[in-house]
Amino acid sequence: MSDQHIPTDGRLVRLYDHFKREWQIYVLLLPMIIWFTVFLYKPMYGLQIAFKDYSIFKGIADSPWIGFEHFQTLFGSDQFMRALRNTFMISMLSLCFGFPMPIILALMFNEITNQVFKRTAQTIVYLPHFISTVIIAGIVITAFSPTAGIVNAVLEWFGIEPIYFLIKPEWFRPIFIGSGIWQEAGFSSIVFLAAIAGVNPSLYESAVVDGASRWQMMWKITLPSILPTIIIMLIIRIGNLLEVGFELIIVLYQPATYETADVINTFIYRQGVQGAQYDMAAAAGLFNAVVAFVLVMTANTISKRYSRTSLW
Amino acid sequence: MSGVDLSSIVKKYGAFQVVHGIDLTVAEKEFVVLVGPSGCGKSTTLRMIAGLEEITAGDLTIDGRRMNRIAPKDRDVAMVFQNYALYPHLNVADNMAFGLRIRKMPKAEIKTTIDDVAGILGLTEYLDRRPADLSGGQRQRVAMGRAIVRHPKVFLFDEPLSNLDAKLRTQMRAEIKRLHKRLGVTSIYVTHDQVEAMTLADRIVVMNDGRIEQIGTPMELFNNPANTFVAGFLGSPPMNQVKGVLTAKGAKIGETEIKIDGVTAADVGRAVTVGIRPEHVALKAGKGTSALPIDLDLVEPLGSEALLHARFDNNEMVFKAETHGDIGHLSGVTDIHVDSSLVKLFDGETGQALNLGG
Amino acid sequence: MANMNLYSRGDKLFVYINMALIALFTLSTLYPFIYITAVSFSDGSAASAGTVVYKPVATTISAYKYVLSEPLFWTSYVNTFIYTFGGTFVSLLIIIPGAYALSRPQLIGRRFFNLFVAFTMWFNAGLIPFFLNMRDLGLMDSYFGLIIAFACNAFNIILLRNFFEAIPESFEEAARMDGANEFQVLWKVFIPLSKPAIATIILFCMVARWNGFFWAMIVLKDEQKIPLQVYLRQVIATLKDDEEFGLQVLNFSYSVETVTAAIMVCSIIPVLIFYPFIQKYFNKGIMLGGVKE
Repeated sequence: MSDQHIPTDGRLVRLYDHFKREWQIYVLLLPMIIWFTVFLYKPMYGLQIAFKDYSIFKGIADSPWIGFEHFQTLFGSDQFMRALRNTFMISMLSLCFGFPMPIILALMFNEITNQVFKRTAQTIVYLPHFISTVIIAGIVITAFSPTAGIVNAVLEWFGIEPIYFLIKPEWFRPIFIGSGIWQEAGFSSIVFLAAIAGVNPSLYESAVVDGASRWQMMWKITLPSILPTIIIMLIIRIGNLLEVGFELIIVLYQPATYETADVINTFIYRQGVQGAQYDMAAAAGLFNAVVAFVLVMTANTISKRYSRTSLW
Repeated sequence: MSGVDLSSIVKKYGAFQVVHGIDLTVAEKEFVVLVGPSGCGKSTTLRMIAGLEEITAGDLTIDGRRMNRIAPKDRDVAMVFQNYALYPHLNVADNMAFGLRIRKMPKAEIKTTIDDVAGILGLTEYLDRRPADLSGGQRQRVAMGRAIVRHPKVFLFDEPLSNLDAKLRTQMRAEIKRLHKRLGVTSIYVTHDQVEAMTLADRIVVMNDGRIEQIGTPMELFNNPANTFVAGFLGSPPMNQVKGVLTAKGAKIGETEIKIDGVTAADVGRAVTVGIRPEHVALKAGKGTSALPIDLDLVEPLGSEALLHARFDNNEMVFKAETHGDIGHLSGVTDIHVDSSLVKLFDGETGQALNLGG
Repeated sequence: MANMNLYSRGDKLFVYINMALIALFTLSTLYPFIYITAVSFSDGSAASAGTVVYKPVATTISAYKYVLSEPLFWTSYVNTFIYTFGGTFVSLLIIIPGAYALSRPQLIGRRFFNLFVAFTMWFNAGLIPFFLNMRDLGLMDSYFGLIIAFACNAFNIILLRNFFEAIPESFEEAARMDGANEFQVLWKVFIPLSKPAIATIILFCMVARWNGFFWAMIVLKDEQKIPLQVYLRQVIATLKDDEEFGLQVLNFSYSVETVTAAIMVCSIIPVLIFYPFIQKYFNKGIMLGGVKE
């Protein structure tokens, strides 16, 4: 039967038929494709200025090529190298301190038996996620102000001299990372809570019969059960290592704290948008994007190997 | 008139062929059931008739009109889906009216149609409810109502009862049959359940592996299965099939011989599969019976009947026996008497039915 | 969870300590909100001297009076609403049809189009080319420019596409047999069936628009077009400068601190009003966010 000749319509006829019947799908698809082309793919064409001596008057296409000059300048510049270092430092620190918090919170929420208390607490700890960066910055600036702020007021009770937190480079990272935890720890715990909710309840029941305590069950059942989720989330975090919340930095930092606060994106912002050195800033951006791309792809590959499901 | 005609229908997904040239003519007002194990191509065939799958090759005509390239909505067929596909955001009335509204039927006409159909299906008091608030049987009825309101030329059913529990399934089965009698619309019904096929169909189409094994009325298929596949598929429990060899007097299975008339000299020594329906046996010898010595394994009482699981010459076999209200007398059974005239013979290699002396 | 009465004594202790810790964390989450609310209702000189702890000192509403009498506050507030609702509307116009088309198995080039969208999650040109592109397109300093340039992103599309893909095919098939075309299938079947996912997208879009300030700050030059967050940022900048130079405005019953706090409170209030409505969706939304290609 399989070698029997089956007469079918020609390819073109079928294609014509398809578009005649399904043209509406393509109409629905079109606005999105146009948007992606104009706003995300066209700028990729504009990335070539990273290798050009870009002049606004000549435009992207007509500016002369200069090869890797901008990259050489960047890697020879203390400012860029500092930004690079700071980006990794801030990322690593927020990974170390910020990553475990949502997991701990989720485990703790899971142990709460009073539903009203649980729901109220969850509602409150999720809230900061929805607060804008500017307001977070505003709160930080107000609270850490040397004269008006509550933090220095508290220090004063303990007889400690007021500290000008926001102009001290050594205080920038703790404040930045702390406010990040305050804003996102609660909301990020949702993923882990969902993973915990998926744990088979009979595991706990048999553990209770075996005489396990709550504490033991948390360590021996809950935590191992959500380990895959934890690892996936960790891989995602590492993949996005370069994505530092630079918007908050822009509002919070000042020249006095650049030393510890200036990251790649704030550097690009100052060089490009404020300093109009578009080509050099684009080169820094391209470097950032390529490293990020490699990180994300690596993370995805690892995750595929680990969980047999891709992150996307 | 509103017949459906399939001629050499083929379906391929890339290089993978799932339907290998099907020929089937469904007469007007006929209720045809496509039955077969999962993956046999029955649903694909139904979906090709509906227009949900492209036909790779062959011709489909409905009411004399070639439908291969006609959009589903213009084929004038209605389909009842396995999961009903009721829109959860619409109430019963709106679910049934959905297609009519899209087709721009006048409001008043929609209302009378819906009221009529709801009356037929006993849904009148549920018209304002959402699908989530209905029982399984009611949802099933709404799904049928949605098909009925359109007054299509052909009804297509894709395993419509498989989501119901056993009791409800029996009840809805009867309802579908009654409805078909009342409306008289040509219907094509897909199921993997042979009981549904037997009870509902005017004609059954048994499919396997993308091909039609046999077409016929339920009793034709039951009495004269064309091959071992059909024999094993229809009937509950299925026909016992054991390997044997033809002799001058009948068929020999191991050391036992079953008397069968009409074996010609030429056929002697031919390898065959002997088919014995569980129902076609008795506990006592009678006219024209042959005895099978068995090792009784297990007795499963069903009420008026019991199933006897037994070993016969290294074959697992199942027989039905009357209980007469007690299974005690069944535990000592050592011989089963087969009604020779009802024994079926199939070719040992091809599995096709053998007609001796016929 | 099991009935507490069945817990052993050690377990009960564990549960109570745990509850106390959660309560502590919850309070420390809440405290900054209480703090700025207290500051906003305090007397300017008291706030500047750092005496406000959790309740207003020398309660006054003069900071609010000042803020509400500031025309730019109102202008930026109205602008934020324009960007939030206008932006979300435009986003839906692009995201919903696009996600639907990507979810259809019959779409030719479906793999390519999906990759076309997903690739932008892994690689983007970055700030400067995006900025220059907007300038070249003449979208600087306009409501429309800010709305359209940030109308879409791969994440939202993939989230909704996944939801659409999970809707049983029979819904579309039933609608098609009933005579519906693609637009009708989308509008009458898929959108009503996808309310949770669409609500999640609306939530993401609205939160991003309401809170966004960076691009608004870069793109908008005309003060009359800036959203609230940019206005707030300008006020905060003066606050920061004050600190650097050690200057304080003590002449009035309001100070830079109380005014800033008042603006922040005004900006948070709509979020708080919407919060109960959106809460039930973001649990779902996060789970939908388990994006797969």
